[in-house]
Amino acid sequence: MGFKQVKSILPPQTHYFSGSDAVVEGAIASGCRYFAGYPLTPATDIAEGFSARAKDVGAVFIQMEDEIASICSIIGASWAGAKVMTATSGPGFSLMQEAIGYAAVTETPIVIALIQRPGPSTGQGTTFASADIMQCKWGSQGDYQVIALCPWSVQEMYDQTINAFNLAEQYRVPVILLSEAAISRLEERVEIKEEIRIFDRAKATGVAALGLPPDNQVQPMPIFGKGHQTKVTGSLRAYSWGLTSDKAVQEMVVSRLHHKIMDNRDEIIEYDSYYREGAEVVVIAYGFTARSSLLAVKALRQDGKKVGMLRLKTIWPFPDRVVAKVGSEVKKLFIPEMNMGQVAGEVMKYTCSKVISYSQTNGDSIQPDTIINELRRLL
Amino acid sequence: MAKDLAQYFRPEYRSTPQSPLCAGCGHGIVLGLILRAIDELKINMDDMLFVNGIGCCMWVPTPQFAADVLQTLHGRALAFATGAKLFNPKLKILSFLGDGDLGDIGGNHLIHAARRNMDFTIILGNNMVYGLTGGQVANTTPEGALTATTPLGNPYRPFDMCKLVEAAGATYVARYSILQPFLLIKSIKKALQTPGFAFIEAMSMCPTQFGRRNRLDTPVELLKFLKDKCITKKQAEGLSPEELKDKIITGELKNGGS
Amino acid sequence: MEGAKQIRFCGFGGQGIILGGKILGNASISAGKWVAGLSTYGGAARGGVCEADIIISDDLIIFPQVIQVDVLIAMSQSAYNKNIGTVNKETGLVIYDTQLVSTKEVNGLKQIGIPATEAAVKELNNKQVANVVILGAATEMTNMISKDALVEAIKKGVRERFIDLNIKAVDLGFKLGREAISKAK
Repeated sequence: MGFKQVKSILPPQTHYFSGSDAVVEGAIASGCRYFAGYPLTPATDIAEGFSARAKDVGAVFIQMEDEIASICSIIGASWAGAKVMTATSGPGFSLMQEAIGYAAVTETPIVIALIQRPGPSTGQGTTFASADIMQCKWGSQGDYQVIALCPWSVQEMYDQTINAFNLAEQYRVPVILLSEAAISRLEERVEIKEEIRIFDRAKATGVAALGLPPDNQVQPMPIFGKGHQTKVTGSLRAYSWGLTSDKAVQEMVVSRLHHKIMDNRDEIIEYDSYYREGAEVVVIAYGFTARSSLLAVKALRQDGKKVGMLRLKTIWPFPDRVVAKVGSEVKKLFIPEMNMGQVAGEVMKYTCSKVISYSQTNGDSIQPDTIINELRRLL
Repeated sequence: MAKDLAQYFRPEYRSTPQSPLCAGCGHGIVLGLILRAIDELKINMDDMLFVNGIGCCMWVPTPQFAADVLQTLHGRALAFATGAKLFNPKLKILSFLGDGDLGDIGGNHLIHAARRNMDFTIILGNNMVYGLTGGQVANTTPEGALTATTPLGNPYRPFDMCKLVEAAGATYVARYSILQPFLLIKSIKKALQTPGFAFIEAMSMCPTQFGRRNRLDTPVELLKFLKDKCITKKQAEGLSPEELKDKIITGELKNGGS
Repeated sequence: MEGAKQIRFCGFGGQGIILGGKILGNASISAGKWVAGLSTYGGAARGGVCEADIIISDDLIIFPQVIQVDVLIAMSQSAYNKNIGTVNKETGLVIYDTQLVSTKEVNGLKQIGIPATEAAVKELNNKQVANVVILGAATEMTNMISKDALVEAIKKGVRERFIDLNIKAVDLGFKLGREAISKAK
């Protein structure tokens, strides 16, 4: 229970991994022992990788009949005590939405690796996009919170997968590794350390009480088959089993799911700053585009331009405080995205400075030169 | 509720049953039969996991059973159950699910759970209608029957889910009506002891939503309707296809083998 | 990206281009380098153009995609035609399979032919290792990494029963590479 140091399963050395390999190894290292998936390019590599590694650590892998079944089965396995994961891309992620809401309201720790591809609908399986930022947060009905992490390198695919499991277990919440094919298919060096830090969920004891938890803190989680008489339900009328009035339950549950994450967001949110000293224009970027952006910003700095960068490693909960702070310090914010400005719109909620959204949706990653040219026009 | 079954209920619900089932609902009978089967087999409720869906059937284990209950999304119960069972094979999983849950929205999960021969006991509570949502047509509604969404009579044939799961690879398949309680108890016991996919169709009834629309105004009339409709395998022998057309055959339809 | 070498290994599906890219990437890791690899194959499992990009650097690679090719290794005509325009005209190098590619003149661009497929068939009686032959030649000609590192990567990345054959292919490649260098001089 709580954080502990464990020996890494892979030998501590430098490996050459694809982003998908790194997700599989991160999951295995975190203690993920149940994976259910359904083939969908470009996320299939992760399922194949896990199926190959499962026997080494005694994990369960199953290819289900669809993505709905995949996510439902990992929720079932999570309540049976497992650390669980599935991986998919946009079309499958759309199918999973109802169950994501279920996992959120039942406070089930699950990890979803979402390898984005261009949509809408079937879109394209073999080109690049990052346009599921909003679906990640608002895809299921009602108000709920999830955590979404945006790795920018293969090393971070490993590190952030471990972080995803830790956050899921710590906050009993669905965590989405919000990645993209430009990184899942990329191969880079990955340093595996001797020990990693993992979090195991707090386990309940005794018969589970009916009704609502006493406060907005994370409650220890019962496990099936241990005599807890656990009741798990996504039906809020059934949530308190007739012991509290329907209206009160509705309000308390929605508020609880919100505060459980938002009150702890300073602990959850991660970001990095580059060349921000004296910057008049700051690029806000995430995922693969942050790599193009950093090269562009570095080149312009060498050219004497006052430009800096903020990289969002966490997308949800949105890093509102740092964005507001940076926004108050600079003249302009430039936000390059492989979508129609999904994060730019979010940034506008928190800053009074001028937000310039740059969208590219042609299936290519945004090249550094493109960003340099756009920034030169602002500087 | 008979006293000897009180131990299977949470203390909060022992004296005042919280079941929101309507008066005359057939599912209440199935509830009693499930608990009697568990009681006769002396299964420890701590080993049981009741996985239910959304629909009137969910009110059988929810909220009163003193056991682990996973009330899932509509149609997805068997997918959830698959995860729990594969990670902890010691869990004894029983699902009491409606005809809409299993045969309409969850049909794909049903056939794949049967194909994988998952070690589940599945009881289909077939009341021939969508009860919880107010009496709409189901895949099991008899041809011609009136429902909230077939005001001119159901134009389509009802589904034979026993045949479906048998073809998909279930190990044990049986069908009985709630008028055959002792056979149902025996069948549930067999199913619980069957390693692999065991499926029982319990012909139930819904006076509120099905009966009143089809001139079967009282539970007794509905029971008579069921009694007339459900015949045993033996009674079915020698009947012509014409005579069998509107009949439902009860009995053990498959037990073991492949 | 100063100090980084941007290599594009290309051919058609089935030639072992992707595997070749992986071997080169792994070899660079054992040589202590920073590497970024990205393969493009689209629907090319059945013979279309197939590309493995590898960037090798002494420092951390900020942007991991090839912007301009330093070394193009081409094993098919269509892959050559598609990529010849991406090569750095001043400092770039093109290494091509003499049996599979006929070159076109590009002003000032150094292009060197290696009879990789031909030699693989003649000397190793196996066409399938032509990818490793040409990688060996390219390694010798560019000094990107050491031969030992390449052999190490083969031992790690190739199925056991093919290791010996592939090591012979590396030797053959290095020999062809040396010959090509002395001829060019």
